[in-house]
Amino acid sequence: MKPLAVLVLALMMPLPTSAGDLVVSGAFVPMAPPGVMAHAAYFQLTNDGTETRRLIGVRAEGYAMAHLHRSDDMGDVATMSAVDAIDIAPGQSIVFAPGRLHVMLMHPAAMQAEGNTVLLTLSFANGDTLAVQAPVRRLRHGS
Amino acid sequence: MRRLAILLSLIAAPLMAQVQGVELDEPVALPAFHLDNDMGETLDKVALTGRWTLVMFGFLSCPDVCPFTLGNLEAAVAETSMRVRPDNVPQVVFVSVDPARDAGTVSDYARYFHPDFRGFTGTRDQIDTLIEATDSFYRLMKPDASGYYEVQHSSAVSVIAPDGTLRAKLQPPFDPGATAEFLARLQIAYRRSLNQ
Repeated sequence: MKPLAVLVLALMMPLPTSAGDLVVSGAFVPMAPPGVMAHAAYFQLTNDGTETRRLIGVRAEGYAMAHLHRSDDMGDVATMSAVDAIDIAPGQSIVFAPGRLHVMLMHPAAMQAEGNTVLLTLSFANGDTLAVQAPVRRLRHGS
Repeated sequence: MRRLAILLSLIAAPLMAQVQGVELDEPVALPAFHLDNDMGETLDKVALTGRWTLVMFGFLSCPDVCPFTLGNLEAAVAETSMRVRPDNVPQVVFVSVDPARDAGTVSDYARYFHPDFRGFTGTRDQIDTLIEATDSFYRLMKPDASGYYEVQHSSAVSVIAPDGTLRAKLQPPFDPGATAEFLARLQIAYRRSLNQ
């Protein structure tokens, strides 16, 4: 009875997306202003395994292209650069957040509305892929 | 435990970022310039006098920094409105440095973040005039195979006082509460300087 209860409870919990030892949590896509050709997705990716994993790419359903991207503030100038690969050491979490690493979503097929979900597929160097559901929501700005 | 540490660092980061703005040693008068938008509105030297204005430079295809900054400015202005008189609440102006792609939608873009935010762009020389006057910077990068290009631009936001002079720069991360506090103090210093 007890293992069954645990299993039922586990199924009821909102689980983060995982593939083996890789876990994605907190995925979201801020609602984008009308008509923009590029916006962004964010999440946190944790390697709970014992080997370093290498994130090498991303696809996004409903977009012509998606890239791993990094914003930097270099001497008060906002710059962006494409990121080819990100190594995630065992136990390490990589945070995609505004003003830092982000998934650039380019040329949306349709305007995203609050409550939509963007399906991201993360690709890793060993051939693994990880599907991530990123809900579209209004980003709250506050202190 | 590790996740807790990450969570705590995310919460603590905005609190640790104390410097939200820098006041200029000497106010800088703005030269004549002329920008407009798809609504037929004009932004010039006259539009920047008589009230406080925050000017941000950017481009609409900016996936990450520009929308985040405008969202933070919206929250910062809301916070400022609780600290200053209604006629001292700054207007927010977004200036696209990428008129080729943005001229048709720049006002819609700005209004998305707040109905009172206004977006403008213009000819290259007029954009450059305002860029130089505010000691700002931008550069259009080389297009990729699809023709898409990125734009590097100043992340700082220029603060224009009611006398039409550049008085300060706001800096990332634009924490709304700390930015509002900086603006409220700047306005007190400004009024003092006028009474001297």
